[in-house]
Amino acid sequence: MRIQPNRREFLRNTGLGAGALALGPVAQQLRARAEGKVPKTPRFVFVVESNGLPPHHIVPSGIKRKPRRQQALNGPAEFFDASLKGRKLPMSLEPIAKWQDKVTIVQGLSGRVAGGGHSNNFKALGANGEGQKGESTSILGPTVDGVLAQHIGGIFPHIGLGISKRLENSVVYSISAIGKNKPLPIMVKPDQAMGTLFGSVANGNAKNDFLAKRNLLDFLREDVKRVEKTLGGPEKEQLSAYLATFDTLSDRQSRLNEIEHTLRKHAPVANDKYTSEVETDRLDAQFDLGAAALIAGLTNVLTLSSAAGIRDFDICFKGLGLTKGKHHTGHGGGQNGMDYNGVYNFIRRFHFEQIAKLCKRLESIPEGNGTMLDNTVIVYLSDGAEAHHSRTWEWPFILIGNAGGKLKTGRYVDYPGYGMLGHRTTANLYTTFLNLAGNNAERFGMADPNLKDLDQTGPLTELLA
Amino acid sequence: MNFGRFIACWLLGASLLPAADAKKEVAREAALKEADAKALAANMAAYDKDVRPFLERHCISCHGPKKLKGELALDLLDADMKESTSASRWAVVRDKLEQGDMPPDGEPQPSPEDSAKVLAWIKAEMKRSRRNFKERLQQISGNKVQHDLLFDPNQAARLMIAPRIRRHSVELYETFRRAQAKGFENLVGNPFTSDPRFIFRDMGTPHMDVPTTSQLIRNAVTIMERLTGHTMEKGALKPMIGSKKEFLAFVDPKKPLDEAAMNKALDLQFKRVLERQPSDAERTRFLKLFEKTVKEAGRVAGVRYTLAAVYLVPDAIFRWELGGKAGADGRSRLRPAEIADSLAFALTDERPPAWLVKAAAEGELDTAEGVAAAVKKMFADPKLRRPRIIRFFHEFFEYRKALEVFKNPEDFRHHKARVLVSDTDNLIRWILERDKDVLRELLTTDKAFVNTRYDANKKQLVRYERKGLLHSSYSLPPDWKWTSEQPIAMPNGTRAGILTQPAWLVAWSVNQDNHAILRGKWIRERLLGNVVPDIPITVDAQLPEAPEKTLRERMAVTREAYCWQCHKLMNDVGTPFENYDHFGRWRALELERPVDATGGIDQTGDKRIDGMKTKTAVEFVRALAKSERVEQVFVRHVFRFFTGRNENLGDGPSLRAAHKAYRDSGGSFQALVTALLSSDSFLYRTPKLAAKAAD
Repeated sequence: MRIQPNRREFLRNTGLGAGALALGPVAQQLRARAEGKVPKTPRFVFVVESNGLPPHHIVPSGIKRKPRRQQALNGPAEFFDASLKGRKLPMSLEPIAKWQDKVTIVQGLSGRVAGGGHSNNFKALGANGEGQKGESTSILGPTVDGVLAQHIGGIFPHIGLGISKRLENSVVYSISAIGKNKPLPIMVKPDQAMGTLFGSVANGNAKNDFLAKRNLLDFLREDVKRVEKTLGGPEKEQLSAYLATFDTLSDRQSRLNEIEHTLRKHAPVANDKYTSEVETDRLDAQFDLGAAALIAGLTNVLTLSSAAGIRDFDICFKGLGLTKGKHHTGHGGGQNGMDYNGVYNFIRRFHFEQIAKLCKRLESIPEGNGTMLDNTVIVYLSDGAEAHHSRTWEWPFILIGNAGGKLKTGRYVDYPGYGMLGHRTTANLYTTFLNLAGNNAERFGMADPNLKDLDQTGPLTELLA
Repeated sequence: MNFGRFIACWLLGASLLPAADAKKEVAREAALKEADAKALAANMAAYDKDVRPFLERHCISCHGPKKLKGELALDLLDADMKESTSASRWAVVRDKLEQGDMPPDGEPQPSPEDSAKVLAWIKAEMKRSRRNFKERLQQISGNKVQHDLLFDPNQAARLMIAPRIRRHSVELYETFRRAQAKGFENLVGNPFTSDPRFIFRDMGTPHMDVPTTSQLIRNAVTIMERLTGHTMEKGALKPMIGSKKEFLAFVDPKKPLDEAAMNKALDLQFKRVLERQPSDAERTRFLKLFEKTVKEAGRVAGVRYTLAAVYLVPDAIFRWELGGKAGADGRSRLRPAEIADSLAFALTDERPPAWLVKAAAEGELDTAEGVAAAVKKMFADPKLRRPRIIRFFHEFFEYRKALEVFKNPEDFRHHKARVLVSDTDNLIRWILERDKDVLRELLTTDKAFVNTRYDANKKQLVRYERKGLLHSSYSLPPDWKWTSEQPIAMPNGTRAGILTQPAWLVAWSVNQDNHAILRGKWIRERLLGNVVPDIPITVDAQLPEAPEKTLRERMAVTREAYCWQCHKLMNDVGTPFENYDHFGRWRALELERPVDATGGIDQTGDKRIDGMKTKTAVEFVRALAKSERVEQVFVRHVFRFFTGRNENLGDGPSLRAAHKAYRDSGGSFQALVTALLSSDSFLYRTPKLAAKAAD
């Protein structure tokens, strides 16, 4: 295993001095880090696992939580807040116990507008929806990762990595969007994602894809420019706008070349897992790739999708020795000597092992007076909200990271029942993220019309330090 | 995008300037300041000399201390646009003056020379202050162009249409991607969206942006990966799901990839994507890319990415309406190939059929008559799908919105929005097949299709839902028996046309109630051609909740003077539909009292209907159907849909001719569309005039 160099060292040595101006905000951010400064906004990682996250699976020791009914006024009137200190995390979350003081388990939020069903698709991170129409794949607005990406920026403002149950898929559009009807891609083939992100320093197919894409962009840039030149008048604007998109994309490609040294340092070494037919292998590879992309400064917003979205949610994790898919588990089917709750926890534990690996990588890179992990927020949720057939009266979340001290962590919080005073929705949580990133939005997504008597604006102040 | 970088350089660069440069900078700034001071002095002098007296003469009596109409005080409007925020309001003054909207009719009109001086001053001061509020060549609301002027036979404004390049429509890309990605449609998304500000989806000129281009590239590469998908086993190529033999040949190491093969690949791909052969110049460029990419990135990536590029050339993204060389009159006629494309894009979601391309090449589209003949042939071509015809009616009436209005099933369990929409589709198709008195039929027919679905395979009408009393949406008796003999006549005097169909009524309703105001707005804008202002942001437009009161009674709050200035346009033309409940069922009683469905028509400018009072919905829509104004407003909407833009005064002759064609043909929709698609407004562009207006 290679020894991790000090992040400041290599950034200083990557020739960012002279070319920095041309590199724009990202390079400045990299340079700032090289000089020991902390980035202005935290990074965000969304880990979205399909098939629901039942609230009772994530209650730590010593806390009793009453199940909530599928209706309004389904919970206590009081906000519940307990420290995680000295408590034992449930089995599926054990892998992150090392960072227990940085964890916040958030219960009791609702997301009724999303509609529910096997997956809430773009509404899970969108906090919007048509209410009654569950499982709709319409894209009504940007999702929180899309808005954060636009706000924070980066060579790749947003990177979506994940797995699909179908091997022939290379990119799926399932949970993230940058605007209405504008989905963001989730790359589901690790080797191809490697080509997109680290292709400039990769070998084999990834390198070839990268080179071919560069040629394609150069060619089209010339081709569009040639047509644009023949035009005058306002109609030219159309071609100019199209040309500008190629400029931006080419620019991105060449920026990848310019930070070649950085990329070379951090590019993961592709192995069999990158092309494996085993789902857990591919997810493992995507977590490695995602960590590398964050560390190399390629992005500040990463979405990791574990077969999220209606078309993939019932994936089967053969790599964990399972033979039946998540649909089976969702309908109460056990396997390998576990009941369905056991299977749920078993699969989730694998995901938290991956998250722990990511935490460890980020923690190994110094940044400011701490590490990259200190300036990163990892958000775990399910696009299926609280259950296999989600009704979205509840939507549990697990957060890791305190965003440079802005979040009060090491806690288990539970919001009052749906419709009770103090009840909050996923929209409020996402508003919190936007605010942490310096976007002062008052609200996000859509308000829940059935909560019109409650104030639905603003962040979750209870989570803030 | 480059702007951000510019700012970054500028911020960081400012402090790094060497001393000599700093000196120069100071000198430059001083010179700029001096120039600005001069321009300011000149403009203020011109204001005192030309503008102020003009305002006093023509404007300030209404927009000043006495009346303050439109909350616009022209006596106080700052002449210095740089030091104030007055420029946006000066832009309004400019637009009103230029469009002849102000001073209003009946007031003394300024001489053209005086107006020109004021306009020149506004432009000069905007230039100095760098607050350039662009003139809109195209209004977002087409109704802003005065109806009477448009249809005045003596009005002879010049044709004024900018050459256009438009991105392909959302629907064309949809058809295209489905055909290209058959079997894996969900991996090749549609990144195109329409501009929601316009009433029809395919209007305006949305720009390409980075997410859209990114996705198009991904789509292209995804498709090529599929078509050439394979694994290698012991040196032999093994095809994967979705691959195509003819494309696999180019990535098979056992087969040569020489220039001949590359040419073959390009021919195949151009045909597949653009339905044509590459030109010689294109071939040369693509071969170069092909060889370079194969050399640098290997054969597989070389083939995939080179062929993917065909999906992204401007021809694959845009439609062209540039026209050829302009004549002495400043007009330039679209080139024959552009006409063939435009006709196809007007009626279909595909590129033109082969016969039309041929007709264009052979000069058959060189006259308006030739174009009209081609349009007729398109209507007659049984193989040609023309989805844009019914789409016009979808977007005009917007009854498909019924699918989005949530109704509580407990309130009426036989409500099935998709069945209602299908019924209305069938009624419109039926009227279009007859193609006689189309608008009048749409507005007054007493017939309806009930619980029907058109089975495209069987080519016949079938029963949509077996279970439930779906016909009760149409207020038919419970024991009514479904029949394939449709349409059927509705019970006496209960229905008249689309606006009384349950689909339309539900589309313009809310969860628990009718929405007379939205209905009224629809009638005002789409049939009467008025402009209804947007809700002012200061208004919280909510009717009081009072279940014991009827909607009409609850709407009484809108009679307050402040609300009424807009609501007078909407209420009386929306309340006639109180004859129906919010599921679209006819009713005689509301809250156990007789329904009040009275309404009235005014402010239309059509003397035949202005001042009319009506008692029922049926009476109301029948009155509308008699109005020539309504017919003309319909023609205006058909124009907008099929030309993809709003009309301006220069389109008057085309609109009048189209209206005449509609009349002369006994109300044929095909005749109306044919006239529009062969009109000067469709076939000509005026590059210079249009550029001047936009300047």
